[in-house]
Amino acid sequence: MKAIYIVFPALILLSAACSTQPNGSQLINKDASLPSSFNFSKMGLKVISTAINKKNATMCTLYGNELALKTAIAGNAPQPGEVLAMITWKQKEDEHWFGAKIPGELLSLEIIKTTGGQFENIKANYQRYEGKLLTLSNDTTGNEKSMRYIFAQQPSVMP
Amino acid sequence: MSLEAKHRIRRIIIPGVLVILGGLILIQFINRPVFANPPVTGDFQAPQDVKAILKRACYDCHSNETNVRWYDRIAPANWKVAEDIKKGREGLNFSSWSALAKPDQAAKLWEAVNQIQAAAMPIKSYQIVHPGTKVSASDLLVLKNYLTEMLNNKPSDTSKTNALDKQYGKWVEGAANAPKINLPVALNGIEFIPDYKNWQVVTTSDRFDNNTMRVIFGNDIAIKAIRENHINPWPNGTIFAKVAWDKLSDKDGNVKTGAFKQVEYMIKDDQKYGSTAGWGFARFKTPKMLPYGKTKLFATECVNCHRPMSKNDFVFTLPVKN
Repeated sequence: MKAIYIVFPALILLSAACSTQPNGSQLINKDASLPSSFNFSKMGLKVISTAINKKNATMCTLYGNELALKTAIAGNAPQPGEVLAMITWKQKEDEHWFGAKIPGELLSLEIIKTTGGQFENIKANYQRYEGKLLTLSNDTTGNEKSMRYIFAQQPSVMP
Repeated sequence: MSLEAKHRIRRIIIPGVLVILGGLILIQFINRPVFANPPVTGDFQAPQDVKAILKRACYDCHSNETNVRWYDRIAPANWKVAEDIKKGREGLNFSSWSALAKPDQAAKLWEAVNQIQAAAMPIKSYQIVHPGTKVSASDLLVLKNYLTEMLNNKPSDTSKTNALDKQYGKWVEGAANAPKINLPVALNGIEFIPDYKNWQVVTTSDRFDNNTMRVIFGNDIAIKAIRENHINPWPNGTIFAKVAWDKLSDKDGNVKTGAFKQVEYMIKDDQKYGSTAGWGFARFKTPKMLPYGKTKLFATECVNCHRPMSKNDFVFTLPVKN
């Protein structure tokens, strides 16, 4: 019976000392990660803004090329040559911080590229990639609305 | 046992034990800490069940109502006990709770519950000696529910919109101008890095505990490390920049970024920043980029909060691959 007083604390100490350190890949947020074949980071885009939709429990980050960012900050109408990309995720609980939600399942990546002349002659090409594998969607319903939403985003203040 | 062996016990082991005992008795008179309970000036208030848990698990080190048991007074344990109480009260003291501003109170509570959840608190050695201080899974749930119930889910009021509008105009003007020359410097020598906004994103975070939202940027070394899964430990030269904004929520639950609150850096250099877990910490508040901290020791506060992540190189962030 007395042995338990010695063995039990010893076991606790041992388990604390032996509990393993997670390796790097275990700490990657795989649900939210983009397929590496998509090469999104190679597009070299910068953050314009980030937003949350509480009703849908989604969060998104809007990126743009230099011109898109400049236009958005200046509050000007879209210029030809802009690239905008919005990534949307389902939210999930942050397992490392009770009180935070982080990107969960990858839902979509929308890309807008503007071409053509000034003002009403400007053309915007919209593409929507969906799901974990970012498969190109052929469904065009709602494209107009999505584009308007993306162009309407106010940049996040980053001094 | 031979007679000779018995003699050896008498000659060596018994005097040895006596010396150790004598030593133990002697050290009882050395550097004896005084355990004092200063007056309670404004005790933490909460529902009975919540308070009972915190009192039982935290108050010995985090209040002026420390219950020092007789065995806590024996050297060498008493030195550790005194140190734990001193540090504990410095970091969080429930006995002077009312002196904290409301948002600081909330931040302390969320941090405390997270420290408990990560099993970083109560301290292991303390828990083993004082088994009654363990926080059970159901206790933790009581604490979490208490925090969740206190959250404000209403749409943002106009003061937050105004705060953003005020900042926004200045920022848009400034963004068109040349970059600043004299960059602000934190007390530990870390300079504000304006280039963070050109870095890639490590993750975003919706902090419903304090109504902010964040983007965590990483420099090229960080992004390369993520691509190669070499993030525990992170390589020297890694820099994170975490930007925080107010959450601006409309009645439909659409949330956008409000006023810029701060940018925080973590710079990995296991030599240079060896005393703060291998990371250089800095925080610059408001668009004026005011360095956080009153003394050079401000970074111990950062390390203490990051300590539950000691198995993950003190990093909370779970990176998203782009």
